[in-house]
Amino acid sequence: MTLRVALVLLVCLVATVVESVFPFLFGLTRARADLLLSVVLYLALNDQAISSAGLSAAAGYLGELSSATPTGLYTLLAMLTWVVVRLTARGLRSDGGPLSAAIAFGASLVHSLLAAGLFFLVAPAPAELSWGPAAALLSALMTGAAAPVIFGVLRRIDAHFIPVGGGEPLPGGRR
Amino acid sequence: MRALLQRYRELVFVAALLAAPLAVYMVRGRKPARLNLLDRAIIQLTAPVERMIVGVAGAMVDVFQGYVWLRKVRFENLELRRTVVRQRSEVDSAHEIRLENERLRKLLALRDSLGPVPTMPAQVVAVGASPLSHSLRIARGLRDGLVRGAPVISAEGVVGTIAQLADGYADVQLVTSPFSAISALNQRTRGRSTVKGTGDVTRCKLEYALRTDEILESDVLVTAGGAGHFPKGLRLGRVTEIVKKPYGLFQQARVIPAVDFSRLDEVLVVLAPPEPQIPQALPRAAVERGKP
Repeated sequence: MTLRVALVLLVCLVATVVESVFPFLFGLTRARADLLLSVVLYLALNDQAISSAGLSAAAGYLGELSSATPTGLYTLLAMLTWVVVRLTARGLRSDGGPLSAAIAFGASLVHSLLAAGLFFLVAPAPAELSWGPAAALLSALMTGAAAPVIFGVLRRIDAHFIPVGGGEPLPGGRR
Repeated sequence: MRALLQRYRELVFVAALLAAPLAVYMVRGRKPARLNLLDRAIIQLTAPVERMIVGVAGAMVDVFQGYVWLRKVRFENLELRRTVVRQRSEVDSAHEIRLENERLRKLLALRDSLGPVPTMPAQVVAVGASPLSHSLRIARGLRDGLVRGAPVISAEGVVGTIAQLADGYADVQLVTSPFSAISALNQRTRGRSTVKGTGDVTRCKLEYALRTDEILESDVLVTAGGAGHFPKGLRLGRVTEIVKKPYGLFQQARVIPAVDFSRLDEVLVVLAPPEPQIPQALPRAAVERGKP
């Protein structure tokens, strides 16, 4: 495991903790910023396929651990989101704050749709996983607001590990 | 095969990452499963951090809210104090009104007891400026039809007489004034006497009671009535010390006034002192005999 992977995992851990603690502190029950989704999004847009897929699965797994949902679902959801973003958002640049926020907002809506579909398949409309458009929209807004921070942190990490002008071209245009 | 895997390794890897959680879910997800070692390690790692953050944040929130609430409590306290002062004032005012009401009821009862004698209620507005004056000032005067010498009474008994008049005010000479003298009756024996002021606001003196009259301490003295005087039967005071000398026609006594003059708020002014009772149907001859 390289130091970069470890650092990204650390970011995921911190995001998990923040995601668990702050909604609790502020009493956010229906909607919250999905920080791990921002990590998955960043990785899907900016990283190599294998490492980003592995890290996204790890992010999904961490989300799973902190949300007490059935084993495997969040990991699967994270992977599905990674695949969708990877396939649809190729070539999108996410350098600026507003741009990354907009991408995260859209990705969060897609993620919510995927989650609704997946949860409907595995457990039709259980009360605790009910999905509402208003909550999804609010979550997407909050995720969009938080995404520039996550993107900024991950970009700083990448700046130390990915040489400028070298390596394989990345989907988001970065090298 | 190896070359094929190498060629599509990304696809295979992603497919494996998709399939693995699905498989895990199919196998373990439908029924509660024990956390594995990695799960427990991660939870052991993150939970204390979460707990610490929640604790610190909770403490900060508590401190902040405590501060904010304290500020609110301060303002609330001030507001409540104002409210208490306001309400206390209202309660005092209501209490005062109740007491005034009681006093006026007593006055009304007294007025009713006086029968046809016309009276006028008056509010006491001041006492005499000099400690030797023994007078009260009431908020009724010439305008209200008051006359000099009009008796002034209260529910407790005789207060005094009107001594001087202005348009809207009158000064009442108290029965304790050295210039005051009122014809009195012993309520028990019906013996006549005169109650005079002494200059001491707490006592009067009884004079001109016949030596032969039986006077006891605590006897109650009332007004004797008569033309141009107080209505009959109003309480003047109570006998305390009897002075009976071994010589002379009369005996004396000290009298405690029935009225506490320091606590008077309202009084009744008797507007028309009772007329002298003239025997009706005097024999004509007797009348004519009286002519010069």
